[in-house]
Amino acid sequence: MTTFEHSIPIGARASSFIRGKISAVTFFWFLIIALLVAPIILFLSVAFSPRLLDQGNAWFTFMSFRPVFKDIFYISLLHSVALGVAAAFFASSIALTVAWYVLRTNTPARKIWNGCIFALLLAPSYLIALGWERIFERGGVLNIFGIDLPIVRNLLYGPVGMGMILTFKGIPFAYLVISNAMRGLGEEFEQAVRVHGGSRWDAFKTMSTLLLPAIWSGVAIVFAETISDFGVASQLSSPGRFSVATFTLYRAIESIPVLFPVCAAVSVVLLALVVLALLAQSRALRGRSFRVLSGRTRPISRQQLSLRSKILSSGGIIFLLGITLGVPVFGAISASMIRGLGSLLSNYSITFDNYIRVLKSPLLRDPLIFSAKCAAITACVAVVLAAISSRMLVSTKNSTSKKLLDFFLLAAVGLPGIVFAAGYIFAYNLPIAQKLGFHLYGTVSLLVLAYIATALPSTTRSLVGNMNQFQESLSEACRVHGSTAFRTWISVVLPLIARPILAAWCLTYCGTLLELPVSQLLFPPNHAPLAVGIDRILGNYDFGGGTAIEVLAIISALIVVGIAFGLFEALAPKGWKQLGKAHS
Amino acid sequence: MTTGHSIKVKNATKSYGALTALNDFSIDIKPEKFTVLLGPSGSGKSTLIRSIAGIEKIDSGSIFLGENEVNRGPINVAPEKRNLAMVFQDYALWPHLTAAENVAYALKRRKLDDHKVGKRVRDILERVGLGEKGANYPHQLSGGEQQRVALARAIVARPALLLFDEPLSNLDADLRERLRIEIATLTRESGATALYITHDQSEAFALADRIGVLRAGGLEQYDTPENIYHQPSTPFVARFTGLGGSFTGSVVEVVKGVATVDLGGSFLRARTNEKFKKKDVVEVLLRPTASKFAASNTKVGSTPNLLAGKVLDTAYRGRGYEHLVETKFGPIASIFDLKQRARGTNCTIEVDIQASMAFPATKKVE
Repeated sequence: MTTFEHSIPIGARASSFIRGKISAVTFFWFLIIALLVAPIILFLSVAFSPRLLDQGNAWFTFMSFRPVFKDIFYISLLHSVALGVAAAFFASSIALTVAWYVLRTNTPARKIWNGCIFALLLAPSYLIALGWERIFERGGVLNIFGIDLPIVRNLLYGPVGMGMILTFKGIPFAYLVISNAMRGLGEEFEQAVRVHGGSRWDAFKTMSTLLLPAIWSGVAIVFAETISDFGVASQLSSPGRFSVATFTLYRAIESIPVLFPVCAAVSVVLLALVVLALLAQSRALRGRSFRVLSGRTRPISRQQLSLRSKILSSGGIIFLLGITLGVPVFGAISASMIRGLGSLLSNYSITFDNYIRVLKSPLLRDPLIFSAKCAAITACVAVVLAAISSRMLVSTKNSTSKKLLDFFLLAAVGLPGIVFAAGYIFAYNLPIAQKLGFHLYGTVSLLVLAYIATALPSTTRSLVGNMNQFQESLSEACRVHGSTAFRTWISVVLPLIARPILAAWCLTYCGTLLELPVSQLLFPPNHAPLAVGIDRILGNYDFGGGTAIEVLAIISALIVVGIAFGLFEALAPKGWKQLGKAHS
Repeated sequence: MTTGHSIKVKNATKSYGALTALNDFSIDIKPEKFTVLLGPSGSGKSTLIRSIAGIEKIDSGSIFLGENEVNRGPINVAPEKRNLAMVFQDYALWPHLTAAENVAYALKRRKLDDHKVGKRVRDILERVGLGEKGANYPHQLSGGEQQRVALARAIVARPALLLFDEPLSNLDADLRERLRIEIATLTRESGATALYITHDQSEAFALADRIGVLRAGGLEQYDTPENIYHQPSTPFVARFTGLGGSFTGSVVEVVKGVATVDLGGSFLRARTNEKFKKKDVVEVLLRPTASKFAASNTKVGSTPNLLAGKVLDTAYRGRGYEHLVETKFGPIASIFDLKQRARGTNCTIEVDIQASMAFPATKKVE
């Protein structure tokens, strides 16, 4: 006599299983459509059909694309692409090298380098640009000390300066993706190269090949982030000197009347470029299997460096972090501690007054608290959705649902934040949205939804590399040994990707805390997010107060990241923590 | 003791794009039997076992576990509801859990209290020789130990069906032999039905109550190990379960199920179930045990089942030597003798009728 665990008829079980599956899938897709698809499609459709959203008379036209391939728009687009390619190449190469030294060798102070990379991640591009500006601008920190470097200043406000800062900004994105994949890569592959006559360099090349999914993900993310970046553009770009697409778009949105069809057309072109890059990535990886994380994966042993190599590697990392992080941090901290910077005073002095002012004044302090709350909510929701999405994307089943999700996420990752925000304004202002009960325009909810939507694509991409390493048999073993799909997730999938998920949470939190473009277009009355608050204060030439908030915001983000990883180390079961750890 | 599932697969078909993994496949497995599915790569055995486990879903046909239909059309009972367990080829041990935690995981479905779980985990780990290693993580165990943990995890919850997906293929020969015995013993003790897939015929014969030979998504033969070996239904089954040699010739006569075949001057007599006519072209397949060296003074002449040859190679096998002999009709392998014959020595081979089988040559497709 055969026994089953439950006496429910098989047919009933099957139909309830199907119903449950359908409702979960439907809910997931409802979220994806509401967050990503509807705003994107409605806004992009303005480029082809201005009348659809009352932006013109034509139901279908390509006229909106005309300005895109002329004059300033065209030049800006070319500049953006050139910067994207350069930043993606340099940032990924640097990130791979740093990750290798930090994770696979005994180079000193590895934890500090790791922390510095995270700190760089926290700093939005506009803050890094501001830091450099504060130092080198006329009347800036160096000027106060009697140093003037006009050549550096000229380079800063041009392609070299923008490319440099965008590369700096790209490094942590590529580093996170590559290092997470590197943690899961056991040392047996490296040993196999060495015992078959390969040198250390050969081993490095082989490991790089195995890390290709993560490297390509890194390249694609940095490229997309660079051409979508608005922060550096808002500080360093100008029509007369070196303009990029997002800045030109911003000016178009700010102009009267607003040229939304043209903005949408530029977005379509930008999007096409990003999608092409990411499609090239997926094509390059087609048919290769990089599933290397399994129950048989052993912890890695660190390569023992000679004293000379240690000095060289440490020197290299110190130099790198010095220019990526040190310069802007010095700029921000020094500016925040100089009384009267930005004013016409001639007697400057060192003080903590700016910090005291920020902590005492609700006007200065409230944006930080408001943004911290929004960032926490955004990070939690985005990470859950990203984990589900990335699992779907690496599924071996080549379903339509998977292809569609891949397409939408690829499309969204390339959309500049400011355009995304414009899409939200359009979508949630439409009469049909009001009729459906979505009275969201001008609310905190819409701002947070937009934050989630902008964070989801890159958060998903950052998890895909790890999900790719997860062997299907681990979850299959769970199912055949009595676990439901949900419990399989909780008991096996989650623990195995806990560290990358935590990293993704921190990434999203920090990115949202200081987010600029969406905040600028969607902030509700009386609730200025941090970036808007800083912008306003700097706009009033209170450089000391503005930079003090910057510094406090970054410190607060570091504390949150520290607490998150501290809690993980303190509370996570031992088995969770030993995954991906190297022994010295 | 657990009561095992019977397994019935009816007309199952499963494709991956243009590739058909299961092609109108049917099999009926009795409860509490140890069945081994044997076949080369791409024969569909992994797809079948994964479909039975519920990890894959067949495109058409149906699967029954006992009286319950678990897969047909939209019906697809989730794996965790099928009361089975599986040992994976790559072990699939969860790297964040210790050996004991891996084993205990499978007991969660039984909803036992912690004390009972602890006892059963300790007992089973002891039983597989890992009593001292419960606190070790998978990466701290050897390959054989990891597979033992996987085996313990599979049987600890006493499921009605145990599935084995080539569990020994990653292990060395000595370990494979030892674990094979443990699998056979523990599985039979548990009372569960066992379904085991492999491409290794010696593993199949050692373990099985019944063997199913798969080919291109279909079932070629399903029978006892003895019948599979002595009465293979097709040349494919014969080849896949071990051959010492094969020759092509024409039928001279068939008398009482024994065909006399002319190889071109020499004659072989072999068993057959076919109704051959005179001069039909046939293939004679020899089991490795079919051939032995005849006495050195034996004259070949026209005596059936004697073939002249020359030793090409020899291999030491512990209790004696195996030889590869080249005849003018083709090579014969695995000819055993206690004494070693030097390479290049002329010899006479005597072929056993009972271990020789004649099949129509036209059926030879592999």
